[in-house]
Amino acid sequence: MREYNIVITGVGGQGILTAANLLGWAALHAGHKVRVGEVHGMSQRFGSVIAYVRFGENVYGAMVPEGKADVILSFEPVEALRYINYLKKGGLVFTNARPIPPVQVSMGLATYPTLDEMKKIVEEDFGGKFMAFDAEKLALEAGNIVTTNVVLIGALSQTPGFPLSEEEIKEVIRISVPPKTIDVNMKAFELGVKAAKEMLRL
Amino acid sequence: MAKVTDIVLWDKPGEKVLLLGNHAIARGALEANIAVYAAYPGTPSSELTDTMAAVAEKAGVYMEYSTNEKVAFETALSAAWSGLRAMTAMKHVGLNVAADTFMSAVGMGVEGGFVIMVADDPSMWSSQNEQDTRVYGKFANVPVLEPSDPHEAKEMVKYAFDLSEKFKHFVILRTTTRSSHARGDVVLGELPEDIKQARRKFGKFKKDPTRFVDIPAHSRRFHPQILEKIEKIREELNNCPFNWIEGKEDAKVGIIAPGLSYAYVKEALAWLGVDDVKVLKLGTPFPVPYGLLEKFMDGLEKVLIVEELEPVVEEQVKTWAYDKGLRIPIHGKDLVPRVYEMTTRRAVTAIAKFLGIGTPINFAEIDEKYEKVSRIVPPRPPSLCPACPHRNSFFAIRKAAGPKAIFPSDIGCYTLGVLPPLKTVDTTVAMGASIGVAHGLSIATNGSLAEKEHKSGKEKQIIVATIGDSTFYHTGLPALANAIYNRSNVLIVVLDNLVTAMTGDQPNPGTGQTPHGMGRRIPIEDVAKAMGADFVAVVDPYDIKATYETVKKALQVEGVSVVVSRQVCALYKIGQMRRRGEKWPIYHVIEDKCTGCKICINAYGCPAIYWDSETKKAKVDPSMCWGCGGCVQVCPFDAFEPMKEEGE
Ligand code: SF4
Ligand code: SF4
Repeated sequence: MREYNIVITGVGGQGILTAANLLGWAALHAGHKVRVGEVHGMSQRFGSVIAYVRFGENVYGAMVPEGKADVILSFEPVEALRYINYLKKGGLVFTNARPIPPVQVSMGLATYPTLDEMKKIVEEDFGGKFMAFDAEKLALEAGNIVTTNVVLIGALSQTPGFPLSEEEIKEVIRISVPPKTIDVNMKAFELGVKAAKEMLRL
Repeated sequence: MAKVTDIVLWDKPGEKVLLLGNHAIARGALEANIAVYAAYPGTPSSELTDTMAAVAEKAGVYMEYSTNEKVAFETALSAAWSGLRAMTAMKHVGLNVAADTFMSAVGMGVEGGFVIMVADDPSMWSSQNEQDTRVYGKFANVPVLEPSDPHEAKEMVKYAFDLSEKFKHFVILRTTTRSSHARGDVVLGELPEDIKQARRKFGKFKKDPTRFVDIPAHSRRFHPQILEKIEKIREELNNCPFNWIEGKEDAKVGIIAPGLSYAYVKEALAWLGVDDVKVLKLGTPFPVPYGLLEKFMDGLEKVLIVEELEPVVEEQVKTWAYDKGLRIPIHGKDLVPRVYEMTTRRAVTAIAKFLGIGTPINFAEIDEKYEKVSRIVPPRPPSLCPACPHRNSFFAIRKAAGPKAIFPSDIGCYTLGVLPPLKTVDTTVAMGASIGVAHGLSIATNGSLAEKEHKSGKEKQIIVATIGDSTFYHTGLPALANAIYNRSNVLIVVLDNLVTAMTGDQPNPGTGQTPHGMGRRIPIEDVAKAMGADFVAVVDPYDIKATYETVKKALQVEGVSVVVSRQVCALYKIGQMRRRGEKWPIYHVIEDKCTGCKICINAYGCPAIYWDSETKKAKVDPSMCWGCGGCVQVCPFDAFEPMKEEGE
């Protein structure tokens, strides 16, 4: 495979780096050359965060070039929009639907766009597909809100053309999470898979 | 996906793993049989230091968190003088702190291999400036190795130690944010027996004052020796395994790509579908090996140098070409920006222009559309965590000192106090500079208490400096001595959260903890008292009222006051509690009591508190509340209370 690019976004503290690392290991186990790029330091303190997961022959640097992301996986809706310039034409935006309004919004210094506005921009201006679902609710259903990232990864695994198999990803999750939480994580993954299947049929 | 510290110690040569650039460098140091490692943490170098701390005991390596980069440099240097393999790491600005020793000792050379890892931060993702360490290399005549991916970074460490030993010279391993913080596939190599058996290595220092005492009579010899060494190293690097020529042999155009820029150039060429070029991949941007360059230039009609930041390679190539009488166009900074980091887009754009072809996608069109998006996306700068003790300190300081006060601050998480609503940071310059600047401002506006004429009492300009615990030990100490000695009129609040939080919770002298167990704790208040501060107090910022009152009292005192505001970092504490499976109280707003005054949002700003525009009341996001109870003390209408049910 020449190249597959994933951009993961969200708010510092949401487990974005863990998700990126999981996907990176899954790609490594699948035999690909892998690059994962991440943000460290101050930006992790509840600021906007972006991470990149890339694999394939043509991949050298750790950053996805603008206009080249196959998928943007977002842990928070507006953060998907913030990095929409990475999306390729025909790319997919998969986002958790729960907003975390920035302090600026609470202070009345800025406004928060609606999901419909976001969808319109992604689809009309950037030629992509926009899908939002409540991953947090599914994570709670699975048994723990911290599995939101696994729900999202489960959903990602169903996107058309996604090069890693469900089993490859699940295996990495199984060996990475604390043994006691394997079941919860597997359930979260399945719920993500189910949600994506439903959405993608629409 | 095993734990990184396990992977770094895995005795599995040939195994392919996914490692962060910094982790790969740690593995490389172990494969090179390192004996001593000393550093002060700084993003983007910190994970290297933390990994060394985590494995030190198991690998028989002495490792320390030094109080600053200069001290770390001196620790490692002395080990290298004693015949051991030693390493220090820092971020680019850290080299400025170590520069005094670095520049003076380079002529003395080393016995054991000495590698200085410096992590640059182009585009300033978490730094106060952007600087190119390769320039330092050139300045000091020290070779600079620069990896293009994590595996190469690991291999380079071993090569760097060998090179250093062969020439008895310093070697810099330079990374950038995008190589230090990139994960890539790394193939593990052999670990030496010493490391596997956790054998601590001890060295021997052979006295030689003509070499290790840099009085002018001795050091006059150094400079010509350094110049001679660097030219010999330039020769040697013709055969460096990290330098090579690739692509079409009879191509008429060439591209020179040092370090990580090589990665971007490779991608750009693939994206552009261009293959009739010759590429010189340079793992050693300084010194550029001229033999290899000559081979590369043979038959070329034009050349482009794609490098990040300063034209370090470009200047060497152009000088060489001029001396050779080579008259072909050599492009570089005319096509590649000199500021901010390299990206594939930049490489594509520069190469397309250089070759006179179009770019594969229309970047300008993306920019135009994004422009519209950026107008509707609300900013989300990083913020102090929920329950962060610094928020309370700032809140109390602001209230006690009043709006006319000046607030010099320092480098650390607490720099975020610059943002609304706290706005209690007026200056930050460099590590430790808060106290120096506070003193200077006091001298300028109030005069010194040692002068006949000075302002005091109601007349004086109130100046409150804030500085973190680790920063206080880093470079705050000499500045504090200066302020006390010269009798300025300032208040210094040491925000002591008992870790070096911004870089990942490293210990410091205020905690007493070392990677090898308990060192000796040095309480900040004891230091301030011993130095002769006019007023010293310790407060718990979780008690906002007490903090406010202490600050008020300190401001009445003429002279240098030091208030230690001590409460453990919330992020650190919550992390520990999560690991232990402990719960903490979650607060909420009693709707009936909330008047909608917004004080909790507009003056305090805990990120867990948000405004519900429908009910026109404040609300707490339970998934973000870390249970400090600060809101209870801030709300004038007693609207906050802990929820009955406890949860995570
Ligand atoms: S400070 Fe108290 S009354 Fe004012 S908005 Fe906040 S919760 Fe409501
Ligand atoms: S909501 Fe209140 S108790 Fe919770 S973290 Fe913020 S200030 Fe502390």
